[in-house]
Amino acid sequence: MQSKLSDIELIDQTLAGNQAAYADLVKRHQRFVFTLALRFAKNREDAEEIAQDCFIKAYRSLSVFQRQSKFSTWLYSIVYTTAMTFLRKKRVDTDSIDDENTYIQLENSSLAHDINSAENKSRSYYLNQAITQLLPDDAAIITLFYMGEQSLDEIGKTLGIEPNTVKVKLFRARQRLKEKLEHNLKHEVKELI
Amino acid sequence: MNTIEEKLWNYIDGTCSDEERKAINILIAQDEVYRRKYEELLALNQEFSKMEPDEPPMAFTYNVMEAIRAEHAQQPLKAGINKRVIKSISGFFIVSIALLLIYMLSTVHLTPVNISGHIPDNLRLPDIKNYLSKPMLEGFLFFDIVLGLFLFDAWLRRKDVLKQV
Repeated sequence: MQSKLSDIELIDQTLAGNQAAYADLVKRHQRFVFTLALRFAKNREDAEEIAQDCFIKAYRSLSVFQRQSKFSTWLYSIVYTTAMTFLRKKRVDTDSIDDENTYIQLENSSLAHDINSAENKSRSYYLNQAITQLLPDDAAIITLFYMGEQSLDEIGKTLGIEPNTVKVKLFRARQRLKEKLEHNLKHEVKELI
Repeated sequence: MNTIEEKLWNYIDGTCSDEERKAINILIAQDEVYRRKYEELLALNQEFSKMEPDEPPMAFTYNVMEAIRAEHAQQPLKAGINKRVIKSISGFFIVSIALLLIYMLSTVHLTPVNISGHIPDNLRLPDIKNYLSKPMLEGFLFFDIVLGLFLFDAWLRRKDVLKQV
């Protein structure tokens, strides 16, 4: 059973020394933080490590949280920086948004799957599969906008970019996601949408 | 220049201006290409909105809290010093310095003759030799060094935390 207290109330309780309040905060945000980490890491083990690291960092820095933005926005910015550091350590090039060579392997593996199995798979499966084929930046923006229900301003704060840039990136990310869906599903995409 | 798709996405997201919205409303109503594209993007948007976040492992919260507890256990004792103690010590020194200054100034009799750039003859510093012995000075110096190191450590820790965020 999760606490019905607001994020700020839980933060105040945590700062007063109540660790159980922080456990409630973790439970509340863990699914989205883990999903966002998964957009960068591409495998569950690494995503778990990133997500765990984020919550520990957030705990350490809770006293310096300015409360000018939502706790979730602040937390997602920690996820972003932690994930980028993680990727840099893993030497995965995420600098160029147009360089898709890194993901050729993933794309080829998706081509190998049996198109005829479409009937047996759920829509969310195909959508998630297409998202994993996107570049981390694209996948993160789509996830923040649709799952995190973050505004363009909030995504801008999380990623450290201007809202107008977010708008352009979101448009491109959606185009790429649509292309991936069309590519993976061929004719079934018409049924999907 | 915005493409049809870009304009339609702005329309769906509600990020276009009133004028643009009205213009797109008309185009959707009158232009078959616009209408089809709009319906396609709207369906796609609805599909994206239904995405569900992934579930982390069952023990995720437990692992996070265990890591935090372990970190707390490793914290050195000096990091747990109550801030009130530090404030009380600082207050003691500030009051002592203030009292010393007041005493010094009270012994000075400033007259126009005295304000000539020379130290007045009647300026008497309190004879601190009577109050401070050698062990006391050494103790005072040692305390200052420990306090300095503690503050330096706290500053480095804060810098490290901010860097990690």
